[in-house]
Amino acid sequence: MSTDLFAEYRSVGYCEAFEERTPRPHYAALVRRLEAMSADDLAQRAHLTAAIFRSLGITFAVYGDQEGAERTWPMDLIPRIVPPQEWDVLERGLAQRVRALSMFLDDLYVGEQASVNDGVLPRWLVESSDGYLRQARGIGAPHGARVVVGGIDLVRDDRGVYRVLEDNLRVPSGISYVLENRVAMTRVLPVAFARHEVLPVNHYGASLLDALRSIAPPAAGEPVTVVVLTPGVHNSAYFEHAFLARQMGVELVEGRDLVVEDHVLYMRTTRGLQRVDVVYRRVGDEFLDPVVFRSGSLLGVPGIVAAARAGTVTLANALGNGVADDKAVYPYVPDLIRYYLGEEELLPNVTTYLPWQPDQLAHVLDRLDELVVKPVAEAGGAGIVVGSQASAEELDRVAAALRAHPRGFVAQETVQLSTHPTFVEGRLAARHIDLRPFVISGERTEVVPGGLTRVALREGSLIVNSSQGGGSKDTWVLAGGG
Amino acid sequence: MRLEIRYVTDFSYRKPVRESHNELRACPAELRHQELLSYRLAIDPPSRVHTFTDFWGTRVDAFGVRGRHDHLRIVADSTVTTTTPDEPRDDPGRASLDDEHRAEHAQYLAPSAHTQWGDAIAGAALDLAAPAGGVVDLAQRVMAGVHDHLDYAPGATYVGVDVTEVFVAAKGVCQDYAHLSLAMYRSLGVPARYVSGYFYAADQSRGDAPEAAEIEVQTHAWVEVALPGFGWLALDPTNRLTVGERHVKIGHGRDYDDVLPLRGVFHGPADHDLGVSVRMTREQMASQSQQ
Amino acid sequence: MLSRHAEDLYWAGRYIERAEDTARLLDVTYHGLLESPPGEAPAAWRELLDVLFLQDAFGDPEAINAATVTRFLVLDPDNPGSIVAAVARARENVRGVRDRVSTELWEAVNSFYLEMVDRDLPAELADRPYEVYRLVKHECQAIAGVANESMPRDDGYRFLVLGRMIERAEMTCRMLAIRYARLRREAGPAYHQWVAVLKSVSAYEAYLKEHRAAMDPTRVLEFLLLSPDFPRSVLFSLATAEAHLTDLVGPGTGAAATRLLGMARARLEFCEVDDVLASGLDEFLEGVQSEIWRVDDAIDRHFFRSGADLDLHAYEAT
Repeated sequence: MSTDLFAEYRSVGYCEAFEERTPRPHYAALVRRLEAMSADDLAQRAHLTAAIFRSLGITFAVYGDQEGAERTWPMDLIPRIVPPQEWDVLERGLAQRVRALSMFLDDLYVGEQASVNDGVLPRWLVESSDGYLRQARGIGAPHGARVVVGGIDLVRDDRGVYRVLEDNLRVPSGISYVLENRVAMTRVLPVAFARHEVLPVNHYGASLLDALRSIAPPAAGEPVTVVVLTPGVHNSAYFEHAFLARQMGVELVEGRDLVVEDHVLYMRTTRGLQRVDVVYRRVGDEFLDPVVFRSGSLLGVPGIVAAARAGTVTLANALGNGVADDKAVYPYVPDLIRYYLGEEELLPNVTTYLPWQPDQLAHVLDRLDELVVKPVAEAGGAGIVVGSQASAEELDRVAAALRAHPRGFVAQETVQLSTHPTFVEGRLAARHIDLRPFVISGERTEVVPGGLTRVALREGSLIVNSSQGGGSKDTWVLAGGG
Repeated sequence: MRLEIRYVTDFSYRKPVRESHNELRACPAELRHQELLSYRLAIDPPSRVHTFTDFWGTRVDAFGVRGRHDHLRIVADSTVTTTTPDEPRDDPGRASLDDEHRAEHAQYLAPSAHTQWGDAIAGAALDLAAPAGGVVDLAQRVMAGVHDHLDYAPGATYVGVDVTEVFVAAKGVCQDYAHLSLAMYRSLGVPARYVSGYFYAADQSRGDAPEAAEIEVQTHAWVEVALPGFGWLALDPTNRLTVGERHVKIGHGRDYDDVLPLRGVFHGPADHDLGVSVRMTREQMASQSQQ
Repeated sequence: MLSRHAEDLYWAGRYIERAEDTARLLDVTYHGLLESPPGEAPAAWRELLDVLFLQDAFGDPEAINAATVTRFLVLDPDNPGSIVAAVARARENVRGVRDRVSTELWEAVNSFYLEMVDRDLPAELADRPYEVYRLVKHECQAIAGVANESMPRDDGYRFLVLGRMIERAEMTCRMLAIRYARLRREAGPAYHQWVAVLKSVSAYEAYLKEHRAAMDPTRVLEFLLLSPDFPRSVLFSLATAEAHLTDLVGPGTGAAATRLLGMARARLEFCEVDDVLASGLDEFLEGVQSEIWRVDDAIDRHFFRSGADLDLHAYEAT
């Protein structure tokens, strides 16, 4: 630790890279390489990174900003490294979790609802979930693949234990950044990258396409026609939708490009209607079909749900997954894993309290300033209140909301996320990080090595969302035996 | 009672439209006291129908017409035989509406789009329920209260009207009677669901049996209350009647939205005429003479 | 390809051409007036609006003068026929198909748009309008060049060119209608006027090559209307459009669009300029324009419209 770069580096909490002041073994090579570089050198490379993203037009939309302003994607130069033995557990744990959640969903929508009947979780809890779509009852998914793309948010606590923070089973986004981060990283830190045997991620498009093809309805033609359905150019994730369509070499369509005739889905082309077999849809359930969902907006493809029900087209992800990533259902996931797979969960949850249980509500209200309160159905960090950082007024508001609508919230123990050296303001400093790996499930289940590491760029902050000042890191999963 | 029912919807569009997609819920349910003998659906222009049973157990016919068309005619013919549903032998006390009962029927207790009650409705419900002994008594008192409170006034309300507005205006049609009843039952912690169906009566709001064998009616709506230890007790607040053999049930749900007879979309100029008619014909049953 | 993408490309082509041709029309009107009596001006600007079918959109006829019409046709974002509006729409269209066009084409359109936004166009228009027209022409031709050099000859390219050619044929008809209306009113030789007309469509040199210095109005008309070789003539535009349309429709299909376009092209191909003048140029040009509209409508119905454009209505029935 002789150079300027690490001279003032202080670990905070559980540091991914150092134990005491010594680099962990899987970080040794990277630290050595960084030590050979100056702060100026890193600053130049950071500049180059930003220039690469800008020129590629890789941006994200910031909610609340005027005119849906777009910002260049912020990638931190210092990669996060996951050693093979850790990844092995993560990979198995993630696949296990998504498998169980898919079985749960399939049982709810086309099965006997065995887990509910057997009391694994209360029926009323399921029936009161906003994500439980009664309109989806009876709509099957080939191979039971209801969560074709799942994004599972992981955190590491102050003892270094990986825990699942939440599941994203509807239309999780972020994979395009994983791929673009890797492309940028190989350009700005080529030597460091070359010194590690990093598992590749660039086959994501091919893997997703394979999975989507594998769930085509029996009547599908050969080759199977897959499309990506986007809400349109004004959606905050439009960049990713276009990116994925390009990666898979399939058409990027909007609702108005599709039409249903006799319960078969087609796209409108200049040579007439062309049949569509599988829709990777990045449109929320409620906006898919104005015949079935009364969103009032008349968006979507009239008849597409009837077509899915008739089994002529597969929607991915399946309809109604929101019930399984309802945060009030999340505490039951380990039980669901035991119930459906007969296995113990490989990745533990974060301790979570359910305010609809009167004793837990009392406990939560008592410790409101220590806990994190989340609305059950939001995604992307919306509506979260971190008790330790909230004002007294805010806590009063939260307490009132909890009492008025206890089913609408959960409370979790505040996890002191692990930290990672991050290049901020011309030096390396410890910042909190999380990880969103992506799990693809068609006929088989595959976990993309790594995932999106998000980093809270503000000192001490636990909020990693890019819309709230978070950055990202390339995530290197090292090959086994190395 | 053996009834033939013909449900007809006629769209005529001023200018041709295309790409219409529709969901029809007009088929009588199969129940212990209601047997479906036949059901036939005819659509013009001809259209391929995909039939399924929805979450609530209702038969749904989904169909679309893609090409240009200036009319859409849907004719659903059914034949049913009905008997009077069983009535509860005794009246369970209100204590039987316990946590277990509520948990079992949670979805019929929560406010839904058309049953969002406020203090006014909850207060009126409490007043109606106060003297009630058991749950059956309570259910009937609320039914009577709703019946007395509202004036039957076709055209006074529209589908989607807020239930509090209905309560304040004190008039409506069968859907409003049903929604107001549901709001009151649920505010009292009594699980209750919306029923869509047909009613063989000379007048949809008085409930007298018709003199002619063949009559023109409209679709009807009533409610079912979850009675502990019994099942569903069906009540018709529009007519202040316990549901009997002249009621033909199509299906149920949390409210109108879950079981409305026909919904859909079409592309084109909005201008259209829509006519819905229901004809019910009572038949002499061969078996009746043998009883 | 998706109908929506095809439509975006077709209209990108039309709008880019519209911007260019509007600049050419303004240019020739402006320069034509430099050497005319001052009283001529309002009539000339009114004719320009008329031929572009923008008189109603412009509003108060009393307000017609060089400055107001120029601003209206170049700068007014609310005028769908203005150059800035056309460029903005072209950019929107190309953005909608960004994945289907070359990056170079997107960049060319985008940078043109940004340049129009960044410049102080009102000042430049007042000061040296020809510079603005030159810029627009230059940028539009650069875009056409980039498309030509960077796009594979697939359906996307064909729709882009089809749109440009249809627009060009129509705008050239309009330009001819204006010029001949004016020239009929003005007796005597008007050599410089003909030079201006030819220059406005970059045809001066090509014309000289074919006809030496003989500046015969009939020959000029023949050249711009019926030349089979000159790329801005109406016949050439329609013939090019027809070739692309035939590829797009595919062999053996009797599409209305191909039939109508073939008829329009054939009418020009087999007519004599003297007959046109004898039976009335205005009627002839109007006839060609209405044929082009029918072709456009047929293209629209064949490739783009399949119900998606109609309003969606939800209904419920009890």
